[in-house]
Amino acid sequence: MSNHEFVPYDILVLLSGISVSLYVFIISTVLGCAMGIALALTRHYRFPVLSQASTFTSEFLKNSPVLVQLFLIYFGLPIFLGINLTATEAAVITLTGNTAAFVSVIVVSAIASIDKGQIESARSFGLSEVKILSKIITPQALLVAIAPLIGLAVNQLQVTSLISVIGVMDITKVGQILNQRTWQPFVVWPVIGMTYFLLSFLLAKVGKRIENKLKQHQHWENI
Amino acid sequence: MFDISIIAKYSGAFLDGFAITAAVSVMSILGSFIVGLGVMFACVSQSKALNKFGYGYIECFRNIPFIVQVFFVFYGLPELGVFIDPYTTGVLALSVAVGAYCADILRASVQQVDREVIEAAQSFGLERKTIYRKIILPIALRTSIRPIGSVFINLILTTSILSTVTLNELTGTAKIIAAETFRPFEVYFFLLLFYCVLTYALSLIISGIHRKLNRQFLVGE
Repeated sequence: MSNHEFVPYDILVLLSGISVSLYVFIISTVLGCAMGIALALTRHYRFPVLSQASTFTSEFLKNSPVLVQLFLIYFGLPIFLGINLTATEAAVITLTGNTAAFVSVIVVSAIASIDKGQIESARSFGLSEVKILSKIITPQALLVAIAPLIGLAVNQLQVTSLISVIGVMDITKVGQILNQRTWQPFVVWPVIGMTYFLLSFLLAKVGKRIENKLKQHQHWENI
Repeated sequence: MFDISIIAKYSGAFLDGFAITAAVSVMSILGSFIVGLGVMFACVSQSKALNKFGYGYIECFRNIPFIVQVFFVFYGLPELGVFIDPYTTGVLALSVAVGAYCADILRASVQQVDREVIEAAQSFGLERKTIYRKIILPIALRTSIRPIGSVFINLILTTSILSTVTLNELTGTAKIIAAETFRPFEVYFFLLLFYCVLTYALSLIISGIHRKLNRQFLVGE
């Protein structure tokens, strides 16, 4: 029996690949943003040991290949700690850490772009640190950080393709399987590439919309 | 227990892997810079078709994951009857992919060059080619060397992906060593540190070039 042809079922396989990719991407982005903001705050408030640890971790994660990080978590960690990790869990952990490292750098520089005088005057008004963070720092820092964050998200979407190497059934893995079955790389890989392209395009579009929404009140000409 | 001394026995293999990583990195840094220059010229040229090609190239290769591009080249070229080794495949794919990033940065900094400077050069009757070579490119390189440097740092990290197309560079070697010693954690941890050192070295070199290109702006050093 020959199954070197494409069958309609392949579309379902591709869709399941897309859903796995998006699942890992969304979870790791949400968790990574939360962790990255936490890391950035430890640096902003200069907590003694934590801030150095956060700088070191983010530099370490930013300057090493994601693929090796994946191998470390998926192959290394279970043996080292004696635990069990599925490929998807390892992928989520690695990408979360990696996203957090980049997010923390963006957030730190966004916070640094706020005038120190504003924070000092807020303190002299007797606002609590939590109030300062939520009412003064966050709204302004968000405006600065949103564009690089969206760029990062588009980039991280492409980084998710690496998780196919440790066996997560994402879009790239589906491509590999279809490629090995049909042996038509000139059909399979352009389709896979287009899928990523479209997803990135949609993500960038949504990001642009969020950015415009946030920057709505910045149009001064109406005043 | 954490025992990094395991690596010492395999230092020879590690060095071989490092040699391949270094060779691939250097070749593709050169390649991607050349591709980047070419695509940049397409972006800033006066022909609409070339413009479209340039921007399309940048959009296309920046929005498709590198691993997909590598698989396309690795599985696709033999179908066309072109048989090349993984090393050449890697250099080719990296140059083409990273070239898009270089092109984008170069294009941005070329377009930022003051119009007056170019008009002055034109009024001196310099040829278009000379204006680019002697005036626009040197000015553009000055501002773009740092962002291009971080693209090249990223390129070194991306070479690790070539281990998936059977090239035994650092990551490929580490995979073999991890399988032989059953100590993946130590091996991969060491490898991460090693990549950090590599990228740090490259960032020092980039800073040096940046200083050299911008030396006329340095005050009090």
